[in-house]
Amino acid sequence: MLLSLLLAGFESGLYRQLAGYLERTPGSLVVAQQGVDESLSVTSVVPTATLDRVDKTVGVGRAIPIVAQFVILDVHDRKQPAYLVGYEPGRGGGPWEIAAGREPAADDEAILDEILANRHGVRLGDSFDLVGERFRVVGLSRGTSSWMTSFLFVRASAARSLLGAPDAVSFVFVTAAPGTDETVVADRLRAIGGLEVTPKAVMIEHDRQVLARVFAAPVRLMTGIAFVVGSLVVGLVLYAATVERRREYGVLKALGGRNRTLYLATTIQALVVAIAGAIAGVGLTAGAAQVVMAARPEFAVTIEAPALAVALAASLLMALLGGLVPARLIAGLAPADVFRR
Amino acid sequence: MIGLATRNFRQGRARVALTIGGVGLALTLILALDGIFAGSERQITAYLDNSAADVWVSQAGVRNLHMSASALPRGAVEEVAAVDVVASVTPLLYVTGRVEFGAQRNLAYIIGLPPDAAAGRPWQIARGTDLPGPGEAVVDRVLAEQAGIDLGGRVTILGLPLTVVGLSENTITITNSIAFVAFADFAAVRPGDAVSFVLVQVLPGASAEDVAAVIEGTVGGVTAQTRSAFAGQERRVVRDMATDVLTVMSSAGFLIGLAVMALSVYTATLSRRAEYGVLKALGASSRFLYGSVVIQALLGTAGALAVGLAVTVVLTAVVPRVLPGVALAIAVDSVVKVAIISTIIAALAAILPIRQIAGLDPATVFRKGAAP
Repeated sequence: MLLSLLLAGFESGLYRQLAGYLERTPGSLVVAQQGVDESLSVTSVVPTATLDRVDKTVGVGRAIPIVAQFVILDVHDRKQPAYLVGYEPGRGGGPWEIAAGREPAADDEAILDEILANRHGVRLGDSFDLVGERFRVVGLSRGTSSWMTSFLFVRASAARSLLGAPDAVSFVFVTAAPGTDETVVADRLRAIGGLEVTPKAVMIEHDRQVLARVFAAPVRLMTGIAFVVGSLVVGLVLYAATVERRREYGVLKALGGRNRTLYLATTIQALVVAIAGAIAGVGLTAGAAQVVMAARPEFAVTIEAPALAVALAASLLMALLGGLVPARLIAGLAPADVFRR
Repeated sequence: MIGLATRNFRQGRARVALTIGGVGLALTLILALDGIFAGSERQITAYLDNSAADVWVSQAGVRNLHMSASALPRGAVEEVAAVDVVASVTPLLYVTGRVEFGAQRNLAYIIGLPPDAAAGRPWQIARGTDLPGPGEAVVDRVLAEQAGIDLGGRVTILGLPLTVVGLSENTITITNSIAFVAFADFAAVRPGDAVSFVLVQVLPGASAEDVAAVIEGTVGGVTAQTRSAFAGQERRVVRDMATDVLTVMSSAGFLIGLAVMALSVYTATLSRRAEYGVLKALGASSRFLYGSVVIQALLGTAGALAVGLAVTVVLTAVVPRVLPGVALAIAVDSVVKVAIISTIIAALAAILPIRQIAGLDPATVFRKGAAP
């Protein structure tokens, strides 16, 4: 149960971490290249000329353009995937919490996630290489890390230069002007042509679906194995308990106790074991999650109610399956043997 | 000692089956996850390995295909072609995007191939052609079949409606597939005139390493890597990302295996407490009794290791059929790691029963009759 919950916790924690940037960046609509309605996995290219038209669209209260692309950082001989965000400090789109330092004022300055920086011993003022260019760390951001990737912020102009796209941005976060209907603004933006306009909540859900497609198969496989192991453990515990009380079961049989009564006893034991195991599993998972997150802050383990319900249901099923083993043992027990021994 | 251990361990077939099964599956957890990452390493480099290019040229500082973007000026293609012993150059456009088969959407590496591409084409074609022209695409066969699309079917890539003219094999991974479109179509929806990579074939007898070094020395703003070096960088991405997850999962598998094995050996010792008491009373040394417990634990973990390996072998055959894109590969270092973990499990699992035997008073055995 611990394993199943931990896996589910990792998965949902990762979703939350990666959705953090979209959730924290102002704007309720995300404008992207036509056909792009997710932010993490797909490259979007919006010409800067189109950005000007977005800015001037009636009903647009605020527009925040960013240049975004996954990059691989080579730090301390390790490959560290990072989500590069190029933003204009005056317009927004940067980190929502700066733990130390300041925003980048020049094209060779960057903000690193503080967990990533700590992990690699990078401090304010240190330099690192990114796509052949040298950057100096002027700020450390908080809440911008996950085990899969960390966020990395530079000025938009620096990102354009790095990515070889001098006349383009990736996404524009749009806030409708006060009193303006968001759907009307979205329709006006779509009328510009060549653009996909997606409500931010929908884009977050699409990102989650993409990640789920990647992680679902291995997580399902691991959870399936964990389920079988759990059933076997319950079976083994009950087997041990039955072996210890074999004489008593034999006596009960000799006194006329029916197999059905004895099966019921082992089933109740199985359920007790399962419920106790479930309670212990939740507690252990919570503890293990704290240990993991304290040791490796880039991991987030979020235990959600649906995962808890599934794990509890699975543990009850494990109990029923695990109860079959001692039931077989009792069924084969000859009352006379007890007295012979 | 071995006879006693074997006899004790084998008593109670159900317990033995549960123990070996439980620990075996706990070890399978470790082996399977290792296998998924090892399989991913192979998948992720499949395109590079089969690209037919000797050297990959990218934007300076870009050493990966996965989670990366590269932009080279068109002029770099001619400069690379002008290097001595270069036999051919193939400019590629590349982006991570979506392939849409009707309502079904899949993440893909989108590759834009020029009409005379000497390298970088799909390496195994199930049906159709390996080189898409304008308005055409080559997509992964498994995904196409899942969507009910065959040659002549319509897909949307980079927002462009395209006709499927080829179905490729082995172009699907756990994260994405690979789709091929015409260079011209790709360029039409990508601002600017940059190319992503230049694939180089060298003349027979020439050294790819030497050519890569010459390209980096003579063409500005590029990184040139041999195909194997580039693939090595890709494998490192998977490895470095996987390390933490594998550590957590290995620890979980270890703890579960330990719990199952400890419980099992404890039960076996408990049910034979009277015999141990008799042996003690007859003068059997503690070392003899402890040794028999350790051997029981080792027998159990050896059996469990065999079960774990067998189940993982079955999974490597079954999983790719059930979950297209997920491939498992059993690596030697993974098996060695799990064997070491098994030995540690056996040693630790023996501690509790040993303490039980150590505290056993032979006189008590006779007083109580001692049947369990």
